[in-house]
Amino acid sequence: MLWVDKYRPKTLAQVIVHEDIAQNLTKLVTEQDCPHLLFYGPSGSGKKTLIMALLRQIFGPSAEKVKVENRNWKIDAGSRTIDLELTTLASTNHVELSPSDVGFQDRYIVQEIIKEMAKNRPIDTKGKKGFKVLVLNEVDKLSREAQHSLRRTMEKYSASCRLILCCNSSSKVTEAIRSRCLNIRINAPSAEQIVKVLEFIGKKEGLQLPSGFAARIAEKSNRNLRRAILSFETCRVQQYPFTSNQAIPPMDWEEYISEIATDIMKEQSPKRLFQVRGKVYELLINCIPPEIVLKRLLHELLKKLDAELKHEVCHWAAYYEHRMRLGQKAIFHIEAFVAKFMSIYKAFLIATFG
Amino acid sequence: MQKKKKLPNHSPSFFPLTVTGTLTLLLPMDMDMDIPLPEELELLEANSHFYEEPYVYSPPSDPSPPQSPTLKNLEIDGSKRPRNSDAIESPPDENKRTKRIDIEEEEEEEEEEEDWLRYAPPEETKEEDWLRYAPPEETNVEVAVEKDEEVYLSRFMSAINGACMPVTAPSGGERVYAKISGAQRDEGLEKLNRKERSKGLLPEPVNVLLQRVEQQAFAKALEASSEHQIDITIPETTMVHEQLWVEKYAPSSFTELLSDEQTNREVLLWLKQWDSCVFGSEIRSTSDEVLSALRRHSSTEHRKSFDLDFSRKNRGHRWINGNNNHIDNVDHGTNNLKGMQDFLNKNSRLNGPPEQKILLLCGSPGLGKTTLAHVAAKHCGYRVVEVNASDDRSTSTIEAKILDVVQMNSVMADARPKCLVIDEIDGALGDGKGAVEVILKMVSAERKHDFGKENNAKKKGSKTASLTRPVICICNDLYAPALRPLRQIAKVHIFVQPTVSRVVSRLKYICNREGMETSSIALTALAEFTECDIRSCLNTLQFLHKKNETLNVMDISSQVVGRKDVSKSAFDIWREIFHKRRTKRDRKSNTGSGSSYGEFDFLHALISNRGDYDVILDGIHENILQLRYHDPVMHKTVKCLNSLGISDVMQQYVMRTQQMSLQVYQPSVAITLHRIVAQVQKPTLEWPKSFQRYRTMLMEKTDILKAWHQKIPPYISRHLSTKSCIEDLISPLLHILSPPNFRPVALHLLSETEKNNMTQLVNVMVSYSITYKNMKSDSLSINMGHEAVSDASALSFEPPIGEFIAYKDYRSDHHVLALAMKQVLLHEVEKQKILQVSNGKSAQRTDGRCNGDQGVVGKGASVAKSAKTIGENAGAGTKTFGNAKNISNTRQGNLSTSTVSLSLVSSRSATVEAKQISTSDVRKARSGFDFFERFRKPSSRGSLDSEIAVVKEVTLERDLRPLLFKFNEGFTNAVKRPVRMRDFLL
Repeated sequence: MLWVDKYRPKTLAQVIVHEDIAQNLTKLVTEQDCPHLLFYGPSGSGKKTLIMALLRQIFGPSAEKVKVENRNWKIDAGSRTIDLELTTLASTNHVELSPSDVGFQDRYIVQEIIKEMAKNRPIDTKGKKGFKVLVLNEVDKLSREAQHSLRRTMEKYSASCRLILCCNSSSKVTEAIRSRCLNIRINAPSAEQIVKVLEFIGKKEGLQLPSGFAARIAEKSNRNLRRAILSFETCRVQQYPFTSNQAIPPMDWEEYISEIATDIMKEQSPKRLFQVRGKVYELLINCIPPEIVLKRLLHELLKKLDAELKHEVCHWAAYYEHRMRLGQKAIFHIEAFVAKFMSIYKAFLIATFG
Repeated sequence: MQKKKKLPNHSPSFFPLTVTGTLTLLLPMDMDMDIPLPEELELLEANSHFYEEPYVYSPPSDPSPPQSPTLKNLEIDGSKRPRNSDAIESPPDENKRTKRIDIEEEEEEEEEEEDWLRYAPPEETKEEDWLRYAPPEETNVEVAVEKDEEVYLSRFMSAINGACMPVTAPSGGERVYAKISGAQRDEGLEKLNRKERSKGLLPEPVNVLLQRVEQQAFAKALEASSEHQIDITIPETTMVHEQLWVEKYAPSSFTELLSDEQTNREVLLWLKQWDSCVFGSEIRSTSDEVLSALRRHSSTEHRKSFDLDFSRKNRGHRWINGNNNHIDNVDHGTNNLKGMQDFLNKNSRLNGPPEQKILLLCGSPGLGKTTLAHVAAKHCGYRVVEVNASDDRSTSTIEAKILDVVQMNSVMADARPKCLVIDEIDGALGDGKGAVEVILKMVSAERKHDFGKENNAKKKGSKTASLTRPVICICNDLYAPALRPLRQIAKVHIFVQPTVSRVVSRLKYICNREGMETSSIALTALAEFTECDIRSCLNTLQFLHKKNETLNVMDISSQVVGRKDVSKSAFDIWREIFHKRRTKRDRKSNTGSGSSYGEFDFLHALISNRGDYDVILDGIHENILQLRYHDPVMHKTVKCLNSLGISDVMQQYVMRTQQMSLQVYQPSVAITLHRIVAQVQKPTLEWPKSFQRYRTMLMEKTDILKAWHQKIPPYISRHLSTKSCIEDLISPLLHILSPPNFRPVALHLLSETEKNNMTQLVNVMVSYSITYKNMKSDSLSINMGHEAVSDASALSFEPPIGEFIAYKDYRSDHHVLALAMKQVLLHEVEKQKILQVSNGKSAQRTDGRCNGDQGVVGKGASVAKSAKTIGENAGAGTKTFGNAKNISNTRQGNLSTSTVSLSLVSSRSATVEAKQISTSDVRKARSGFDFFERFRKPSSRGSLDSEIAVVKEVTLERDLRPLLFKFNEGFTNAVKRPVRMRDFLL
């Protein structure tokens, strides 16, 4: 297995990056109980790791014995019945699922599963732990309706079930839900923290790390711990006795976007825009989310841009991203941004060089 | 003599009394006759008992005509009138006529004086006889009969002297009494009876009818020839005002048609090709001439005036020709007859109906498709039977109807053959399909028939429903889905708009006749406005006329009158959006805001009539960057894309809130774009495929990703979302999976660290459930810049994770392992998986916890499968890894000698597949025991009698321990034997 998985902390005590949060969580569950929790933060910051460690802290090692289940729900919605299928991970004490996978019918899942769990309340001999934990992933992708139905059930069944919600951005979770949970922000690890982790792994693996090498990886990783560790392992595979100036293999899609940015900078014309469209389509086809494409593209463009244009370009990127989220066809908006950039840049070039 | 030999053959019962003096007169003709073809004789024989039948039921293309006339002539000589009633029912027959002329001429004067009983001869308007060579009346005219004074018919029995028979007419149920002639009575009663019966088919004497028909036809023909010219020169002055102009001035003759001459002629040519089939044998010579003329004309661009001349000339000629024919026939009847029959025999098959039996006319409404079909069919002597959308067009009804048209001939009302016109065949999908199906069935039946029994052609149409009459289908949209099959077999004619000048001249002519004042400019504008839809032009004009208004140019654009509500294809709409019209009108009023307003209106109507804004905007998006518009700083492009973005946001909002009424604002987006980018030059357009492609590809890839994600064991996959898989994982994983410093050598040659690396790599692959798979198409490795691997057995990752970074025009620097290395890895991975499964099972049993039983079964199945894949890949022989714990030491020696290929996991909870294999193995092993006994005896402790007990023990033991053993199929030259599992286990 990969280092990412191998050196993932299993318990709250092993956690390196967010030690303070881990300590708080430990204290929180000393009473064998906890409120509803909402973990939010960028990807690769350790949310899931913390949640798993927390579950282990509550339920002991049995929380790690999970089985995958493809569950079917038959929901009687007035005149018709809806069939839904969803993969869940379940142990005796908890259930994990991503309700947003079923799309706009996620509301039924959320309602059904909580009711079901409330019905099958685990009986503990000591009279404690009389609750189950429901881990909901990607809550920010839940539809409005699902979130609304969630907020009532959260209160109603709070005796028998605890929710742990996990999402990237809390802004997409309704106020009502946020106020019912203990919000825990897991911020992206700083470069120092990443370096610390990498050095820890290096030590465990018995590797010689040249000075500054870990820092370089951390810098490249965009404060994403998962990516940092993966890059680290990649470097190890590529060339073992590390050299301090060793090339760190880039992400392919980022590389491709930077190619696009170069194309845009080279020529500004409808024809070039058409080529860019083809490339953007390539990225989108390969499951790169359009927001990320736009964000990365802006990043790459800003690198090559004069300082006086940066502000304006950022403004337009934000403008088109907003529209993209309102709309349906992301390609229209990404392309509109590219066109806008080309227009600005070309005007700038003409003004500067005549 | 031939005749005498033949006669008894055909109808001995018919003609005992017909041997009179006239026989001698006929004999010379018969001498020149060909001996009939065998099939003809057959037919005649078959029909000899009921003489009328073949004429009622058989199609006119019956090859028997050469024979039948002689028979009839013989009857005539016998002066039996009843028999002659056959002549009317029988299809027009030229031969008959030629032979009877002598008789007819003698008696013409007398017959004219006879009083006429009721008989409705087929009505026929003769426009251009030169084109039609089978007018039924004409033949009837010449069928004359010797008059017999003694025999007559009457409605009253008292009016007849002597014996009589009551006869009821089939039409109208009129009853008459026929006197039985003395001559007949002399001959014998049973024959008399038959004659009387056949006579009864007509209510009045045949000679009377024939006479009358002849006269009428002649008169009408004359009338028609003169009338036509009158029709053109002298306009009708009095008219009923209630009548629609469209109907009133509908073209009634071929020459008046407004549609494209070429199409007209092609249609006519096609119809004429049916003649040999429909009308039988008539006047091939004329027909050939006509056909060639038609061909000539359909290629030349000569138009109306010449056409008229030509037709007139020919009409005259035709009549002379016809008369000549008569005379000729009288003079050299024998020669002609012979020639005719030769011709028939040769051509009955050669000149059958045209290859494509269906004619499909398509074009936008109002171009005159229906009119053309009607006029042309009428012109060629058909009676038009129209089936349109107003009729019931379900399969059963339409089939009955078509059969009726195609196979039956009406006896009384209108003897002309029918021509089926199916109008609006594309109309209602479900119903129209019925019609199409029936036609297809008939055509295919026909085809089969033709191939099967080509020489047996006379049976055609007896049982199978085949097409023997022309069928014309009319549709608006050639590419309607229902018409797809029809399109392939039919002859398709696409109507194009008639030229504006033609339409205008016609309109002008009509206006003049109606006394309406118009200018040709206004008419031209009107024609342009309606896109030469004559029907709507006329309706508009009539409407204006009723309102006592005059048509002027301003009216047309401002009035709603004459506006057509057409929805155009998406391509047309894109073209309109990207194409700037530069007509005179536009330029003139470009100074004011009038034109832009008109343009806006026009585009708005166009787009909103089409609806389907999603497609429209996609198409704009697809094509807009390909346009050549002047845009130095890309302001226009930005504006366009902004507008598109707005429309997308709007669309999304409308769909989410279901407020469809907001869709009305969509066309204005497109119009904005038009204002920005429209060019004078015509754009080349493409259908918006890329967005659809993106959608489907994205779905595919997401599915792959999700499937993979589910296969990864939960302790890893729970930490990864599919999104982060793509963003963070795949690129590094690909690097990790194919390390550059990996030597493709045998495992035992590797150093310790290399071995460590190897096991780690295998570990990663197993834990991420990645493996290698045979791939036929080698797109991946080419994309990755690895040209060396081009043989068929290239291995690629099993969830094709490499594809996620295989962007177009992008070369990643991923290292690709050598094929040998991949094979080793594949092998190791499979082994590792098997070990894991067996470990998992023993752990499971000791734990006693049933942890995801489902998953285990699935995994087991996959193991069995993967075991087979190993067999295919046939990796280099490597020593087997045993799970030492699980395999007893004594057996291990045995196992390790046998090398890799097939591995099986046998345990209590073995997979279904494994069970099947093992049971079958056991079954096979029953007979073949002794070979392995040799191995077993020295090693095993037991003798034969203790063996059974041991076996029992062993099975228990086996059930406790999962076992790995491998069997190499291909490596032994020794005798192959089925072997029991337990033989290994002992």
